[in-house]
Amino acid sequence: MQPLRIGIAGLRGQVATALTPGLAMDFASALGTYLDGGTVVVGRDTRISSGMLHNAAISAWLSCGCDVVDAGICSSPELHFMVPHLKADAGLLIGAGHHPKGWNALIPIASDGAAFTKVELQELLDIYHARRFDTRPWNEIGAERPAPSKVWKAYLDHLCTQLDTEAIAAANLSMVADFCDGSGGAIGEKFAERVGVKMIAINSKPSGILPHDPEPRPRSAVQVCSVLEPLKADIGFVFNSDMSRTSIITSSGETLSEEYTVALVADQFLSKGWKLVTNWCTTKTLDAVAERHGAQIHRTKVGEAYIVDRMLELGAELAGDGSGSVAFGGHLPGYDSLMVMGVLLEAMAKKGATSAELAANLPRHCIVKKKIRTSSSHAYTLLHALRGHFPDAEVNDADGLRFDWPDGWVHLRASTTEPIIRMIVEWTTREQAEEMALQVRGLLERMVV
Amino acid sequence: MARVNLKVSVSGVRGTVGDALTPSLMAGFATAFGEYVGGGRVIVGRDTRPSGPMYERAVVAGLLSVGCQPVLVGVVPTPTVQMMVDEYKANGGIIITASHNPAEWNALKLVGASGIFLNHAEAAELLDIYNQPERNYVREEEYRNLRTVENAFDVQKKRIFAQIDRKVIQGAKLKVAIDCCNGAGAPYSRAFLEELGCEVVALFEETDGIFRRAPEPVAENISSLCKTVVGEKCDIGFAQDPDADRIVVVGADGVPVGEQYSVVLAAEHVLSKTPGPVVVNVQTTKALGDVAAKYGCEAHFTPVGEINVTSKMLEIGAVVGGEGGSGGVIFPAVHPCRDSFTGMALILEMMAMRKQSLEQILEGIPRYVSAGAKVPCLPVQAVEAIRTLTAKYADAHPITIDGLRLDWKDAWVLIRASNTEPIVRVFAEALDQKRVDALVAQFTAEIGD
Repeated sequence: MQPLRIGIAGLRGQVATALTPGLAMDFASALGTYLDGGTVVVGRDTRISSGMLHNAAISAWLSCGCDVVDAGICSSPELHFMVPHLKADAGLLIGAGHHPKGWNALIPIASDGAAFTKVELQELLDIYHARRFDTRPWNEIGAERPAPSKVWKAYLDHLCTQLDTEAIAAANLSMVADFCDGSGGAIGEKFAERVGVKMIAINSKPSGILPHDPEPRPRSAVQVCSVLEPLKADIGFVFNSDMSRTSIITSSGETLSEEYTVALVADQFLSKGWKLVTNWCTTKTLDAVAERHGAQIHRTKVGEAYIVDRMLELGAELAGDGSGSVAFGGHLPGYDSLMVMGVLLEAMAKKGATSAELAANLPRHCIVKKKIRTSSSHAYTLLHALRGHFPDAEVNDADGLRFDWPDGWVHLRASTTEPIIRMIVEWTTREQAEEMALQVRGLLERMVV
Repeated sequence: MARVNLKVSVSGVRGTVGDALTPSLMAGFATAFGEYVGGGRVIVGRDTRPSGPMYERAVVAGLLSVGCQPVLVGVVPTPTVQMMVDEYKANGGIIITASHNPAEWNALKLVGASGIFLNHAEAAELLDIYNQPERNYVREEEYRNLRTVENAFDVQKKRIFAQIDRKVIQGAKLKVAIDCCNGAGAPYSRAFLEELGCEVVALFEETDGIFRRAPEPVAENISSLCKTVVGEKCDIGFAQDPDADRIVVVGADGVPVGEQYSVVLAAEHVLSKTPGPVVVNVQTTKALGDVAAKYGCEAHFTPVGEINVTSKMLEIGAVVGGEGGSGGVIFPAVHPCRDSFTGMALILEMMAMRKQSLEQILEGIPRYVSAGAKVPCLPVQAVEAIRTLTAKYADAHPITIDGLRLDWKDAWVLIRASNTEPIVRVFAEALDQKRVDALVAQFTAEIGD
């Protein structure tokens, strides 16, 4: 199985077996050709192979006649901010985010700072597959320059206009944050200092060597939990390596499933009549929260590009999904874990509530997530075959397959970033959820197609 | 037959920017090189060409992908990279330079362990690896970090200063004009000469890679330098090529001494202090042999190509050597490579030690005049003609390692078939114009038969 995925989430793959300098150059050349000159901002996370991809991409753009602004190691919200801020024509985020070690990804960003939409990406991929790239003669090649040294400050200024920083500072809060040794450590510390919150940072060196599974899941939160209680911190956070996904540990030491990140934020953030965008496999808790605040919920396909695109299209105030990602319509056209931090800190400060109290307000269900390894083509066949299996459920195939019963639901989808089927089951009780997950997995495994 | 402006051969890879010499191709070649040298450190330098940074990124991406540690030394002379390979015990070096070719060209020069260019057999092995479709890319955990070394030229400078008497040169207070050709010598030449106590007038010092004169340092391209030497009343003028391995001398009268005489002057000085064997290629003036004979030393000839000269020098323990036709001076006490800086230091040291002007020194060396012609001739006939002439002129000390060289007491001739066109080149030198014209006419006629 070729460990490579090219699609709505850009180009993602395993270094060496799939991600090679040649492939990265072809993809970057496609972007450069698509832009026909112009300026690209490039940012990278701390993964060790990101340096190789970074060099390959810049070389390709210069050859296409594009000027390059090199942001070096920077988090994904900073890059979403920087592309329009620096009036660039596009951006590229090089980084593996939540992927396991040995993987990496190239994610194109449009001039408005959002990930490429489906239409833009299709055009880019047509050029990529045709492999007829623009190459300029020696006196027309592009030039590169570093990003302005204070651009992170402009980002923080922008972020702080969205928050009541005085209220946060006055509350004298403390938090524990785990940056997974990714690109968020530096900006995270500056943010904490700016809003006057005492932060105990762990795994905040930009070493690129993953201290734990980079998906912010409850099992990744062990280190935060171990210091949160003795230090009596007010809240804990676990981030992925590019600050696009967050999971939360409350003051009582409870690790919330990453499913609840968007719900907890929504519960603090939404107002009557606002719009919220999510996908087809995010917890029912979010529906309940939206209803509680009189907000409308809109659903779209899984993937940052779809969710953010829909958020912009609807003028929605909030968007997010069950992977722990949240975007804010009035702030940035991309996921931003720093804003998640800010909104929760502000809510704690203004409501005078602990994070455990905020979490206790959420109507809970039980979610079980499983991965089923399979090739992409096989995944589609399996999902088609499964469609008629539950005649008593309401079936929705807007994105993958979703079966809804009165007390729960099952969602199955071929991942856009890895060769797996992602299964999410939500039920009122854990036993029921586990039982259903087992049943579906069994069905898939026995299925001969 | 379709042709592209690209040459991948045992001499490396060379082409014009914006044509077939894509970053992807350069990365591919660097990848093969990284595999060939077995990973480890590889020193990467470049000349000032505008396409240099682009190809440097490509080379870095390629090297990283096979587990090498690229050590970037920036814009430096070619010999700096060669000495850095030796100094840093690197497994190899890559110089991104098209040497004396115009700005639209670029190429890679490939250096093996201990800082010597790959020889013909090694280059053929590398090419064989490059031609195969499979690459041994390494996984992310085997990646090594990129390193940058500032001031790499200091390594070269230290080595040169260790071998010459700086005090003597400083005492002579020479006035020197240097034409850097806007190349890799430009950032260093003025300071280098000033450290030797010279008063320096420098030309073409901008390092933007726009060559303000034709880059080959031959008489017709260095008229600005000649004028400057006269106008500024300099004792001597030097001209470099874009990667600063070649050096050409201009006398105080503003007349170029000729690229043939760089190695002759170096030999005159070195042999007068430390007699020993001399090695030059067959394209080198008879004056070199005359100087060697004066000091009772033996001159050895090799085929054209720096690596051929270097190999022979190391084999027999030569004390000095080089290439007449290209202004190449090799002084192995510093490093067995062509180096314009070593060449300048040796010639200045000679002037200072002898308290003589360049003109006075040249009085003791025979001055030959040269002439040449191209004779249309098919390759098979060329081989036949060379064979016939070798037999016919058996008493003129025929050397047949690369074409045919014949030597008489007062003149010599070199007959070589071109690699690229169906022609034979006749080149001759003699003590007077009449004799040299007669020789060229005679051999043109003999090949024509």
